[in-house]
Amino acid sequence: MNTPGAPENVHEQIVALLPRLRRFARNLARNPHDADDVVQIALERALLKLDQWRRDARLDSWLFKIVRNAWIDELRSRGRRDKMFLAAEAGDNVGDATLDREADLMSVQSAMANLPEDQRTAVSLVLVEGLSYKEAADVLDIPIGTLTSRLARGREALQAMLVPAQGTAI
Amino acid sequence: MSIPEETLMAYVDGELDPAARAQVEAAMRDDPQIEKYVEQQRALRAKIQHAYAADLAEAVPERLVAAAHGRGPVSDPHVVDLGQALAASESKSLPLRWRQPQWRPIVSMAASLLIGIGVGFLAWRNSDSNMIQDAHGALVAGGPLAQGLSSQLAGDRSPASAVEIGLSFLAKSGDYCRTFAIVGKASSAGLACRHAQRWEVRALAQSGAVKDDGSEYRTASSSLPPAIATAVEEQISGEPLDRTGEIAAREQGWLPATR
Repeated sequence: MNTPGAPENVHEQIVALLPRLRRFARNLARNPHDADDVVQIALERALLKLDQWRRDARLDSWLFKIVRNAWIDELRSRGRRDKMFLAAEAGDNVGDATLDREADLMSVQSAMANLPEDQRTAVSLVLVEGLSYKEAADVLDIPIGTLTSRLARGREALQAMLVPAQGTAI
Repeated sequence: MSIPEETLMAYVDGELDPAARAQVEAAMRDDPQIEKYVEQQRALRAKIQHAYAADLAEAVPERLVAAAHGRGPVSDPHVVDLGQALAASESKSLPLRWRQPQWRPIVSMAASLLIGIGVGFLAWRNSDSNMIQDAHGALVAGGPLAQGLSSQLAGDRSPASAVEIGLSFLAKSGDYCRTFAIVGKASSAGLACRHAQRWEVRALAQSGAVKDDGSEYRTASSSLPPAIATAVEEQISGEPLDRTGEIAAREQGWLPATR
């Protein structure tokens, strides 16, 4: 049994969160290769400032925030020209992960990839990662009201993309 | 609609206090349009969660496990430490994917999870022994877990309940199965199937994500442990049940319709 807060214990907790960090990063980057690189950079940063993690805060929220900041930094450092490259590349990568699954599962990922970044991030944190509104708002440094309106717009857009038009069978 | 849509979404997300929740539920009874809207939002939420559940079962690249432990990859000079990684991204603005990732996937999650009935059960005995019981060699759900499996709908969890239901589906075996998570000090998740009038626990994983100071570190319903996600993938026949399907199955006592 580890003593509370022992470093090895935190490392194990972080390892246990890796699948979720990767999933969140993929929703940000829309590209699995970039996502893993962003997670790696975020992990390195997180370990350097592990003493800043408040032990009463959720470790996953804290890490999600670092992942997102790492991604924002990456976008900035790429500059405008690379962003265009990224957008084109993201289009290629939408949907290459799970070809053998049911067709409608595929469309969830594609629909997500089509959302504006702010809505996609809100949906990803709350609906995919299961954070509460308050936790998600903290990760994004925005008021709860902003989060819920992004979430609502994201949901409406997803609903429109995923559900057949009114009148046809579901 | 008499209730704002964002409030109905918050209801589906479990974000309302009891008073507001009761108000929504009363409105749902009175207004079929509101009820329909809530059902749509629930279906959307379930669909999104399901679509991303399989991501968690994927093997994590070893370089990320190493990074989580503060060990830089030995064979990759491009990403040795933070300083170099930042320097690379700032000075040369290399697209991330051009750095050479080290693809040696391992099933790293296995290390942090006690997987399998046998091991899981041993860990269970010490914590919530009434939730999982040994019935002549078979593990069955008991107490609050059995109750939750029989009555709770996916995503619903009252603050008092320690049990959270994730996915419900019809298994290839012909039984109804449901994933569950037990929230608390021994945060765990598993898969139980209704068979011979009891809930047989067919997979169980105890997550290591519990803080040692005893404070609750909630396992979100959307984060199925990989072992459980894999068990679902193996056993599921078709699509998971939506809200309506769950309610129908519950009314039938989780007995599959004879085909």
